[in-house]
Amino acid sequence: MGRQSSERVVIVGGGIQGCAAAYFLARAGWSVTVLEKDNIGRHASGANAGGVRRLGRDLREVPLSLAAMDIWKDLPAYIGEEAAAAFHPSFYMKVAIDDKGHGLGLDRIRMLENAGYQHEIWLSKRELKKRLPQLEGPLLGGVLVEGDGWAVPWRIVRGFAKAALDHGAEILEGCQVVQFSRHSSGVWKIETATGSLESDWVVNCAGAWAARLARKAGDLDFPLSAHAPMLAITERRAPVLPAVLGVLGHTLSLKQLDTGQFLIGGGVRATADLETDKAGLKIPEMATSIRLACQLLPGISVAGILRCWSGIEGYMPDDLPVIGMGGLPGLVHGFGFSAHGFQLGPGVGEVLADLVIARQTKVSLKPFCPSRFG
Amino acid sequence: MSNARDYDLIIIGSGPAGMAAALLADRSGLSVLMLDDQPGAGGQVYRQIGPNSRNAKTFGFLGEEYFRGGDLAGKLEASGVDCIHQAHVWQITEDNEVFYSRKGAAASIRADFILMASGAQERPMPIPGWTLPGVMTVGAAQTLLKMSATGADGAVFIGTGPLFYLTIWQYLRAGFGVKAVLDTATAIPPAGAFRWILPALLQAGILAKGWAWRAEVRKRTSYQNGVRGVSLSGDGKLEKISFIDRLGKEREIKAGHAFLHQGVIPNVNLGMAAGLDYRWDEGQLCWRPVLDQHGQSSRKTVFVAGDGGGIAGASVAVTSGQLAAARIIRLGGKTPRGLPAFLRLRHWLNKAPRPFLDAMFRPPTDWIVPEDEKVIVCRCEGLTRGEIDQAAKMGVAGPNQLKSYCRAGMGRCQARMCGITVQHILAEHSGRPVRDLDYFRLRPPIRPVTVGELAMLAENDGQAI
Ligand SMILES: Cc1cc2nc3c(=O)[nH]c(=O)nc-3n(C[C@H](O)[C@H](O)[C@H](O)COP(=O)(O)OP(=O)(O)OC[C@H]3O[C@@H](n4cnc5c(N)ncnc54)[C@H](O)[C@@H]3O)c2cc1C
Ligand SMILES: Cc1cc2nc3c(=O)[nH]c(=O)nc-3n(C[C@H](O)[C@H](O)[C@H](O)COP(=O)(O)OP(=O)(O)OC[C@H]3O[C@@H](n4cnc5c(N)ncnc54)[C@H](O)[C@@H]3O)c2cc1C
Repeated sequence: MGRQSSERVVIVGGGIQGCAAAYFLARAGWSVTVLEKDNIGRHASGANAGGVRRLGRDLREVPLSLAAMDIWKDLPAYIGEEAAAAFHPSFYMKVAIDDKGHGLGLDRIRMLENAGYQHEIWLSKRELKKRLPQLEGPLLGGVLVEGDGWAVPWRIVRGFAKAALDHGAEILEGCQVVQFSRHSSGVWKIETATGSLESDWVVNCAGAWAARLARKAGDLDFPLSAHAPMLAITERRAPVLPAVLGVLGHTLSLKQLDTGQFLIGGGVRATADLETDKAGLKIPEMATSIRLACQLLPGISVAGILRCWSGIEGYMPDDLPVIGMGGLPGLVHGFGFSAHGFQLGPGVGEVLADLVIARQTKVSLKPFCPSRFG
Repeated sequence: MSNARDYDLIIIGSGPAGMAAALLADRSGLSVLMLDDQPGAGGQVYRQIGPNSRNAKTFGFLGEEYFRGGDLAGKLEASGVDCIHQAHVWQITEDNEVFYSRKGAAASIRADFILMASGAQERPMPIPGWTLPGVMTVGAAQTLLKMSATGADGAVFIGTGPLFYLTIWQYLRAGFGVKAVLDTATAIPPAGAFRWILPALLQAGILAKGWAWRAEVRKRTSYQNGVRGVSLSGDGKLEKISFIDRLGKEREIKAGHAFLHQGVIPNVNLGMAAGLDYRWDEGQLCWRPVLDQHGQSSRKTVFVAGDGGGIAGASVAVTSGQLAAARIIRLGGKTPRGLPAFLRLRHWLNKAPRPFLDAMFRPPTDWIVPEDEKVIVCRCEGLTRGEIDQAAKMGVAGPNQLKSYCRAGMGRCQARMCGITVQHILAEHSGRPVRDLDYFRLRPPIRPVTVGELAMLAENDGQAI
């Protein structure tokens, strides 16, 4: 596609969503500028647990998650071999350790079957034992997705950023958008900390800060809240866990990285401050997840935890992202991923680009409609 | 989480700063908890002072100065201060909850005020071969002396600074043979140092003592100064020390033990992970917390005293601890009792010789950044200077981006060993001064806590251990 002067788009936010959108737009020949107030991948997109999972997605999110997975499976074609090597597909498993979890798992499988999805399957107690004999404790079965896995988040974000650059996009780091508005001519004027620029389209991928950004333009008032989910990483241990592990009805996500380090998370959140960009850390609140990890893999209790951290993420009241046209022409939103937007990233990048280029997308965005909260 | 025990003041570290502060606060009616990771009170300078005072015959070689610490430690024991030893503090939260591990379990306690008196660490000295078995720091060698009167015969001491001469002096008095002393400082202090000589003379006694240690070391060992280009080598362990002497001649010594030292720098991990503001100190080539004259940090309920607030030595540690405690006592609505007279003046006098000493023993950058690209910089991850150069060439803005490229600073020690070196390397590449680069973003736990310890945290729920 030849480039025309009217095909200018500014993307605010250099997280996974912004960088993936930049890639797809630049690939389509658009003139793309990404404005990132800190560094690419500095916030949620670089700090997350790297879980690449379709497992357990809200039914309304499944089509987008599956579309994203098609890109993950073919990642080298998009971001090159080197960056794509940061994705480690294996399998993702949520085990049931009590009756409640067992019930949740079976209900889930039934619900997905009714909706015509087959990517999640139920493993009986025996099959589970065979698949992961190293696990201990009362195990009543589990939900499994083959091909899910984990990635080094930062490398994936960088991968999309670099691929976007290779297609001619411009990425400005340390460049905060302080104000932007649409002129009568139909052009957006964007004021940044280091200068101003014009664009025909603005894509709001500002993560937890996105509602503030929307307000600056006088768009809808989004009920977006900011929290900081937490993670802990251990020192290196001999490899014992090939899968990413969760527990039905409990908060735990456990994986062993290629370095041998265990990464423990579980959705427990600390406070986030959007003024100072500081993310809190409440280590004791992670103890429940950590105890669960010890119960499943007693061997890890002697591993030293080297670091804990958290990242600032934006949450919507229904835990579904906002993806779609804003209330003002030429403004598109993609934010509010409520702690599960990393896997979606490549898919979101594609639909955001399709929205801008063609006003239509292959996956329905209805559940993510920006105006769903009025 | 709920807490079984609360205190007016928690002090972390029972060196001279922590002990002096604890005594004043206790006397003035505050409830005080002291947390310290050693088996007993004393800190670095008076390590093991309790047991060693009772065994002065064996440990007399440590010198009078050392045994002076017995006074503070004895008073602390007799006071109402609750002391928990072998407690490794790994986090201070925003609401002043202090987390620590002790004997395989973790616990937490809260207080209105926190005084960090966690002292200093030795400045890492990344020279070729510094990770070889047989090589350790002078401070570690001194710790062995203080713990068990053990040492290595025929070791070579390499480096400089007050603690360097003191330890060699103690080594000799303990009866260990010292094969050679390679002083990296020149005989005549750098001209700039003399700007500071006048205030330093206010503490002529201290200077004289340092001079005496050095004179004794010069007399009783094979000593040379102005040594450069030190390189340690050997097959699986230290065997040979090569260096360039004052006259530019290449020399070699065979030795199985070498002790390195380039001065001390504040322990920063706890305070940085707690979110206190820190500033690069160009005079001492280290990070130090931003403090007011009372030691109050950028978080109003957290104070810092002693070497953790900037290197100044044991006597300043005492007065700074007292100043901080006095302020905390007043903020708590009480009146300090038994506050030493002319405290501020004494504090100032104690600090007087410091700029002179800083200038005199300022390490040149070749002791901070190895020239040879094969030298290991990040010990935990086994990364060499060359590997860090390569990552730096990819255009990283600071240490935090570097971590993603090459894992420098991501190991057990949390950049204690490589942080400042990495920063100097990045400064070189970017052409910016070190003070303009951020430091590693440090996160709790600042010391490794096991998964099992954390798992038990929920169960213990605030029980002191
Ligand atoms: C600890 C943690 C663990 C997680 N684990 C997983 C997981 O395992 N799997 C999964 O799928 N998801 C996970 N997530 C969620 C996932 O990381 C996020 O949903 C996703 O990264 C969101 O991407 P983003 O691009 O919307 O936001 P961000 O990465 O936050 O990017 C937004 C960017 O916008 C920039 N910005 C904001 N305002 C402005 C402005 N005015 N001007 C310029 N720039 C601005 C910010 O600096 C920021 O870099 C986790 C999140 C966290 C925090
Ligand atoms: C290895 C070494 C040896 C030294 N020897 C001498 C000497 O012999 N003579 C001399 O004049 N000066 C010596 N110094 C210099 C010395 O640091 C100061 O003069 C003096 O000890 C400073 O007193 P302080 O109270 O600030 O800290 P320190 O005396 O260092 O006391 C701090 C205490 O806090 C503890 N601590 C630190 N972090 C934590 C944590 N996270 N949790 C729990 N406890 C913690 C430490 O183990 C220590 O017990 C030495 C320094 C070092 C690094």
